[in-house]
Order: sequence, then structure tokens, then C-alpha cells
Amino acid sequence: MAIDIYKINPEFRDIMPKEIIDLEENATWAQNQEKPRGIKELPETKEILEEHSLCAGCPEAAALRYVLSALPKPEETIIVNSTGCTSLMFPHIALHTVHSLFGNQNAVATGIRRVLDWRFPDTEKDVVVLAGDGATVDIGLDYTLQSFFRQENITTICFDNEVYANTGGQESGATPKGQVFKMAPTGKKFEKVKMWELAVTSGCHYSMNMTASAPKSVAKAVREAILVAREIGPTFLNIYTPCILEIGLSANEGLGEMKDQDKDRFASFKHVSPEAEEFLKKCKAEGKL
Amino acid sequence: MYYVAKVNSDMCAEYKCNTCTLYCPEANTLMFNKDGNTSWVDEDRCKGCALCVYVCTDMLDRNCITMEMAGHEE
Repeated sequence: MAIDIYKINPEFRDIMPKEIIDLEENATWAQNQEKPRGIKELPETKEILEEHSLCAGCPEAAALRYVLSALPKPEETIIVNSTGCTSLMFPHIALHTVHSLFGNQNAVATGIRRVLDWRFPDTEKDVVVLAGDGATVDIGLDYTLQSFFRQENITTICFDNEVYANTGGQESGATPKGQVFKMAPTGKKFEKVKMWELAVTSGCHYSMNMTASAPKSVAKAVREAILVAREIGPTFLNIYTPCILEIGLSANEGLGEMKDQDKDRFASFKHVSPEAEEFLKKCKAEGKL
Repeated sequence: MYYVAKVNSDMCAEYKCNTCTLYCPEANTLMFNKDGNTSWVDEDRCKGCALCVYVCTDMLDRNCITMEMAGHEE
């Protein structure tokens, strides 16, 4: 499962599409370079994502680019995802991804993590869960919290668009109070679930609430969360990626919406446990961040 | 018949800026050319969301990117 699987057989090299050859030659794999990977390489290198099928201007797609650019070791990473718009983009990623049942993502990731620890005890492997707010906060809340209780070494990233956007706009646990959607005409009657605070209570060592309006801070948070999850314990990131179609915005207005929410519902929240903080300081001194 | 983003390279080269390339939601579509010091658009991949126009015009006030009809110059 190392970088070798991305190498092209020389016999077939002449018939391979340009994108695949690019992936071998120009993508930033951690093994090929001395410095840590980062978002600064996005403008000039081949990305691990290729021509996804999300809507034009979808903030979730932008957030996914930042997440993929910040993975410390993509060739040793397994991404577990769940049903939703996120599952539309996973067939287009050049990494190992596992599509779980709706809501099961953290349970599946737990199994993968344990087998990896047993099978490759000497290699640093990362297991990252990427799911929407329906899978994390509603249907899979049990599995998500239980994986925090058990202190599994998993990074959970929630792309919070505050609605079940893929199925036409039903309200989810993360929908703010009073919000009306096509399939929720009376408006939501309860408050938004503050999953980032639940994560802290449940034992996460690194929990953050943010929007995807600042690429560099998203990439930094993802990187820190994955490093902490590797050594210390569960980490959680809640990233606001609005569904522009469901809230009635044009393709180019998603970024402005995220910027507005930076000061409102998604005001920056960051919790780092003392041991995680110490570990991150150590990582910084070693040049891993 | 659809619009794609087009970068005015001469204007773009004046600024050492690759902000738009970070905000584009498509992979490997809005890229940065270090030699020419300018951003460029892979028109076959552009979905025409005009987010880069928002970034360049509204956020940075530099007006280097416009939306033009695909294959306009041919």
C-alpha cells in the first residue's frame, strides 16, 4: 500500500492518459520530498483529486482540495466516507477510500485502524473520516461519539452544510433554528447541535469549528488534527461548507456566505488538550508541521 | 455555449499573487505559472462558477479575471 502502487507499468506507459502519468510525476507524495506537504503546492502541482462531479462553485469541493493538500502522508492514508455529496467525489480521488453505510463511517474506520495497527506496526498510517453533517451529527451520532469515547486514533472531519442537501433539502441536526428548506417547510424548531462542543465532552483531543473561507487555516487544522490523531487520540473538525443550491445562492456566492458565517454561527472554536498541545509543539520543533 | 474564466496575464503578472488558485473549487483548473508569474485557466475543466472573479474583483480589487465565452478567440 505504499507509493509503489501508483507507479505505472512501463509496458503500458504509452497508452496511459496524461492525468495518470501526471499523478506519478507531478503529484506531491510525502515520500518524494523532504519538506512537509502543504497547501502552498496546490497552484503548481498535480492534485490527488481529479475532475469531480460536484456542482460548479461548491464550497465542499474547495474544502476537499484543502484537506487533500494537507494530508501528511497521502500514500499511507485511508479515507472513510459516508453517503452524501461527499461520496460523489471519492471515486475521483487517487487514494484508498472506503465507502461505508450511511452513518457507519466511524465504526468502519475503527476496524480499519485496528487492523492497520496490527498488520503494519512499524508504519505510520492515518485513518481519516470525511462525512457530511447528516452522517456525523444525525444518523451516525452514536458511532461518532462512541469512537471518541473509546479514544480511537481517528481524525473525523465533518463537512457541515446544515442540511441533507443530496436528497433535496431535509433538515438535519446541524440545521440552525428557524431555517426553512424545500423539504422542511415549517422551519426547524430546535437549536443547532454544537458537535464541536460534544466532541470535547466526549474526549476529543483536538476539536475545531471553522468555515472553509480561509484555505490556509483549514489546511493547518487538518494537518494538526491528523498528527494528533496518529499519536494521542481522536480529533474532530467541523468545517462549514454551505450548499449554495439549497440556500439559494449563485455559484460565486459561496465564499461570501462562508465569510459572513465566520463571525456568526461558525465563529472560531478551538480546543486542544494539554497533551495534544505538547505533542504539537514537539512536531513543530521537528519540522513536521 | 458556456462561459469560462479567463485571466488577463499582463495585469495578473503585476501582482505576485496566487490567491485565486487556492479558492477555485475545481482540481488543477486554475493554475499558477511561476515563470510568467501569472495564473492561467485550463478551459476544458472550468465549470464557470466565477468564484475566481469574486476573489480577484470583490476581495482583492484587481480585476484580472473575466468570464468569456468558451473558445472565444478561435
